Amino acid sequence: MNKKCLGLLLIAATLTLAACDSDKNGNYTDMGGGGAGGLPQGDNVDLNSGIPPAARGNFNPNDADYQTLAADTIYFAFDSSTIPGAERTKLANVAQWLKANPNHSLFLAGHADKRGTPEYNRALGERRALAVREYLVGLGLPATALYTNSYGSDQPAAQGDTEEAYAKNRRVQIGVIVQK
Amino acid sequence: MMLGIFQAGAQAQVDVSVSTLVRVGINPLGGSEGSMGTQVLSADLKRTGMISPVAGGSGDYTASGEVTDSGVTGKLTKKTGEEVFSQTFSGKPRAAVHLFADAITKAVTGLPGFASSKLAFISDSGGAKELYLGDIDGYGVRAITHDGVISASPSLNHDGTKLTYTSYKSGYPDVYLIDLSSGGRNRIAFFPGINSGPSFSPDGSQIAMTLSKDGNPEVYVMPASGGSPTRITRTRGAETSPSWSPTGDRLVYSSDDRGSPQLFISSSSGVSEMDHLVTGNSYCTKPDWSPDGKLICFTTRTGGQFQIGVFDVASRTAHLITTSGGQDPEWTADSRHLVYSNNGHIYLLDVVSHQSIPIEAGVSGAGEPTVSR
Repeated sequence: MNKKCLGLLLIAATLTLAACDSDKNGNYTDMGGGGAGGLPQGDNVDLNSGIPPAARGNFNPNDADYQTLAADTIYFAFDSSTIPGAERTKLANVAQWLKANPNHSLFLAGHADKRGTPEYNRALGERRALAVREYLVGLGLPATALYTNSYGSDQPAAQGDTEEAYAKNRRVQIGVIVQK
Repeated sequence: MMLGIFQAGAQAQVDVSVSTLVRVGINPLGGSEGSMGTQVLSADLKRTGMISPVAGGSGDYTASGEVTDSGVTGKLTKKTGEEVFSQTFSGKPRAAVHLFADAITKAVTGLPGFASSKLAFISDSGGAKELYLGDIDGYGVRAITHDGVISASPSLNHDGTKLTYTSYKSGYPDVYLIDLSSGGRNRIAFFPGINSGPSFSPDGSQIAMTLSKDGNPEVYVMPASGGSPTRITRTRGAETSPSWSPTGDRLVYSSDDRGSPQLFISSSSGVSEMDHLVTGNSYCTKPDWSPDGKLICFTTRTGGQFQIGVFDVASRTAHLITTSGGQDPEWTADSRHLVYSNNGHIYLLDVVSHQSIPIEAGVSGAGEPTVSR
């Protein structure tokens, strides 16, 4: 990567991180500027994907609307964060939707099935959400409109110990956030 | 409930260990709390897997003493009558008896006991995943959070006075530190992305954890008092569940950079070479380094089931120690027992005898146990 390109990314990353604000409930968007463990210091460009890391938005993650794009939930194979080819047309729909609704943001919620250790599953959910984010940026969506979170295996869509239930739980749900 | 976990050859190991049990006679303890004390002491010594508690006067050693509201005055003598120690253990009666048991264990086996260890875990028995705390024998277990959000991955410090864990109180996974003497709780890591899986360094001064603030989940170390994190890993994969070497200079963790998750060791002071621990299994997560530095336990997936494995650091070989399932193991102070979870229950496993006993905490839906050590 040449220096000019890296510089632009650094600026983009700084802008993303500066967009965080405190909220009326004093909870979910407190990114702790100034406090211990607060805002990361200095540069934060992901040299792997070349996309600025996702920031935390000025909204309550629990307010994300998962109904509007429910049909576009992305499903994954066991222990994989690779977006299966068959799921990619859904992401094309998602990209079209956001382009048609530019005053919205998307909240990409990564999940894993219950098998395995909770910590690894939390990271797996994160990687799934980040993979979807990266793919959507590739489709021309602004990285700053794409927020992510991982719930690991703690919020299954389907209960039970069947392969059918597991398959429904390995997913990234596309939440819609109304944001100016 | 009885759960026997045996592997081929384990029975022989059980016989060997039985024949080498140290017999400690217990004279019924005196004092206002004597009868409780006698029961607790006997159960503590038996739980070590190295001591057989017998009637007073018939063992290789004899334990005697008094238990009152202010603590224990305890004595241990050899069969010959020679005194090994005579000591006062102050505190609440039950806690003081645990200290007496640990002193006896140390004196007769040379290994630290774990009777006085605290146990914490996660349970969703009340709906949301909340944090629970009690004694390692299951006594006094109660919920210490009532947040109604996801709580996860608790880690106790060495003396059980502090606990760090992950909570979604903010809507996102953040790392919190709880002072267990005051109940004060502080959020110490809340960067963009996930902040999770914290683990205390042996001296309690630092906490290793997974952060994804720089693009994907990586291992970082930060001061327990808060501050800037130091990056430990730099890969395209996800690194999780760091655990410290007893000397604090290295970390063992799981990384899926090569496809499926595998175990690696790195320096705890910055990004360095990753030493791959070859276990022979494709899915290995949640390692925990034993306090004596010799063994690393972990969760592995084999034949579609999750089991607990142990990696020998010196010989660099691994073997499974459960056959009936198990995950999220953590060593006790003696480097011989593990706590782990299986199907919503917490168990204590003796890695020498391969015997596993349930820890009766009266809480269902339990997982991710941690002990002070």
